[in-house]
Amino acid sequence: MHIPDSFIPLNQAIAYWVIAIPFIFMSMKWAKNELDEMKIPVLAALSAGIFAIQAMNIPIGMGTSGHMVGATLVAIVFGSPWAGVLVLTLVLLVQGFVFADGGITTLGANILNMGVISGFVGYYTYVALRKNTSISIAALVGAWLGLFISAIACSVQMWIAGTFPLVPGLMAMGLYHLIIGFIGEGLITAIVIAAIAKSRPDLLENNSTIKPGKSKKGARA
Amino acid sequence: MSEKSNMKFFYAGIAIALLLSVVAPFLASSDPDGLESAAGGVIEESKLSELEEMEPVVGSPLPDYAIEGMGKSGEIIAIVIGTIAVLVISFVVGKVL
Repeated sequence: MHIPDSFIPLNQAIAYWVIAIPFIFMSMKWAKNELDEMKIPVLAALSAGIFAIQAMNIPIGMGTSGHMVGATLVAIVFGSPWAGVLVLTLVLLVQGFVFADGGITTLGANILNMGVISGFVGYYTYVALRKNTSISIAALVGAWLGLFISAIACSVQMWIAGTFPLVPGLMAMGLYHLIIGFIGEGLITAIVIAAIAKSRPDLLENNSTIKPGKSKKGARA
Repeated sequence: MSEKSNMKFFYAGIAIALLLSVVAPFLASSDPDGLESAAGGVIEESKLSELEEMEPVVGSPLPDYAIEGMGKSGEIIAIVIGTIAVLVISFVVGKVL
């Protein structure tokens, strides 16, 4: 879903940058206040893993492929959508500047879609579902919905840009990303979160959503 | 949580990331992604080829995760470089902030 430079006129691309910058700033503030020294290796490992898995395009039929984005996964591990914004910003910067994957003028839009929208929708869907469902199902549906909504946002941006017609754009983007979102985002996020919950439950502990309907924060304070 | 177990997570994560980087050139689908595929379906052909021919605004050292003339091994090197770059940048950003 990496938008190239040519798909958005410069003035609109700048507008998306202006919207994205406060989110990037907030994600840096999160790192400053919440990311303790001990968790830096976890963040770095997740970032590297997400960069690598984004190179792994999965065929979804219809001559189309897709890959994981990963903002929801990072947000769940750190218990904050800002962690997802930070990691996706770094990954997208490297992809754009080193590999021409996604434009530089459109980097703001890409950070907004894949870092902010997919991470926030994914994480808060996960948090809402976690009250009544298992960690795997909540992670799967959250990540799936996060990716789907970000694709819908992307097609609206493509329409405003005059690049895609509205309804056919929404239909095509929606259809492809429903499938990519389930396989590439939902399933992988659920598998990784389930594996972390099993092997490193302490890692998810600061995340009050690990136990249904119960926050540990009060007990600890 | 201990520092040791987080370092274990760190090494396991790097191992998985590097493994993915090495196998991706062979296993990844070369079909267009969702956005490209949608573009192919909804944009008029002449306009699409015009958009696709436009050069990126900023040039990149390793466009399309490849090194010219090096085939699959070039792709592996490119993705490994990216994985390590992201790892180092994340670490530094984490430390500095």
